[in-house]
Amino acid sequence: MAKEWRLIIVLTVIALVSGAILGLVNVWTEPVIKEQEALAKQKSLQQALPEAAEFRAETALLEELPPDETTGITELYRGFRAEQPVGFVFILNQRGYASGIQMAVGVTQEGKLAGINIISQGETPGLGARVTDEEFLNQQAFREATVKRQLAVTKDQGKVEAITNATVSSRAVVRGVNAALAAARSLLAAEKEMGGALQ
Amino acid sequence: MTKWQIYKNGVLKENPTFRLVLGMCSTLAITTAVVNGIGMGLALTLVLTGSNVIISLLRNVVPKEIRIPAYVVVIATFTTIVDKVMAALTPGLHQVLGIFIPLIVVNCIVLARAEAFASKHGVLESTIDGLGMGTGYTLALLLVAVIREILGTGALLKAKDFGFSGFRIFPEEMGVKLLILPPGAFLTLGMLLAGMNWLVAKRGAKKHD
Repeated sequence: MAKEWRLIIVLTVIALVSGAILGLVNVWTEPVIKEQEALAKQKSLQQALPEAAEFRAETALLEELPPDETTGITELYRGFRAEQPVGFVFILNQRGYASGIQMAVGVTQEGKLAGINIISQGETPGLGARVTDEEFLNQQAFREATVKRQLAVTKDQGKVEAITNATVSSRAVVRGVNAALAAARSLLAAEKEMGGALQ
Repeated sequence: MTKWQIYKNGVLKENPTFRLVLGMCSTLAITTAVVNGIGMGLALTLVLTGSNVIISLLRNVVPKEIRIPAYVVVIATFTTIVDKVMAALTPGLHQVLGIFIPLIVVNCIVLARAEAFASKHGVLESTIDGLGMGTGYTLALLLVAVIREILGTGALLKAKDFGFSGFRIFPEEMGVKLLILPPGAFLTLGMLLAGMNWLVAKRGAKKHD
C-alpha cells in the first residue's frame, strides 16, 4: 500500500508545483501579451488608413454586411480625424496557399483604397510570404484602386503584378482587397442615401 | 568524464542532430532562416537545461515507475514558460516559430537527455550536459539554416520582425527556391549528415592505422 501512495503523492506534488509556477508566469506574461496584441492591431489599422488619428469599432455596421463566410470580413473599424470620419478599415481572412492570411484593408471616405497591411500569414518563406513586402503592397494597381472597380492579378487579365511563383498567395490578397472594396462601396452608397455618416 | 568533455560530447561526439539524429521535425521545418534557427536553438537550450537541472534534483525522490510522467510534467512546465515569455517579449519570432515551440515538449532530445543523463548524474553535470546538447542543436540548426537561406534567397540574417533586412550576397532572383521549400530541408540535411559520417569514418580509420 505504502508504495502506491508514494507514487500518487510524488506525482501530485510535482504537478501542483508546476501548476503554481505556470500560474505565476501567466500572471506576469498575460498582460504583456495582451498589450503587444493591442499595439500590433493599432499599428495595422494605422497602416491601412494612415489619414485617421483614431479608430472606433463599428459592430452594428458590420452586421449589415454580407455574412463573413463569403467576404472573410471579421471586424470593421471607422477611422476619425478631428471627429470627422475619414474612412473604413476591414479586418478579414483569406485562404492563401499554405495558410490563412489575415489582413487589414483601409478604404477612404472618398472610396479610394488607402492601404493594405498583412497582420498574419504562414505562407512559404521566400515565396508566398513575400505578400508582406512593400513592393507588392505599394504597387501602382493598389495605389490607384477605388470602390468602382474590382482588381485582379495580371494572369487573370488584371493590373496587379503578382509575386513571382506565388500567384495563389497574391490572389488571396487581391480577393481580400476586393471584398473590402465591395463592402466599402455598399456602406458608402448607403451613407450617401441617408445623407450622412451611418451610426 | 570531465566537465569540458561532457560539454564537448553534446556539441560534437553526440551532436543531437548529426550524430543522434533526434529532433528532426523542428530541424527540417524552421531552418528557412538563420534567425529562426537562433530562436529555436535558444528556446530548446533553455528548456533542456532547465528540465535537466530539475530532473537531476528529483532523481532520488521520483520512484522509477512514474519517472516518465514526472519528466514530461517538468519538461512541459519549462516549455510553457519559454513559450509564454517568447510571446510576451518577441511576438514576431514567436509567430514565425509557431507550433514548434509548444512541440518542444515532445522533442526527443529533451526526454532522451532526461532519461539517459540527468536522471543518473548530479546537478552540475546535468546543467553542462543541457548546455552542451543545446549548443550542439543550435549549431546544427545554424549550419542547415545558413546553407538554405543563402542559396535559397541570396541573403543572410534577414529578420523582418526586428526590422533588419539582412546582408544581400547575390540577387534574390538567382536563389534556388527549392532550398527554402520542404524538399530543400531534406536535401540539405541529408548531404550534411553524409558529410559528417564521412568525416567521422575518416577520423576513425586514421586512429586504427
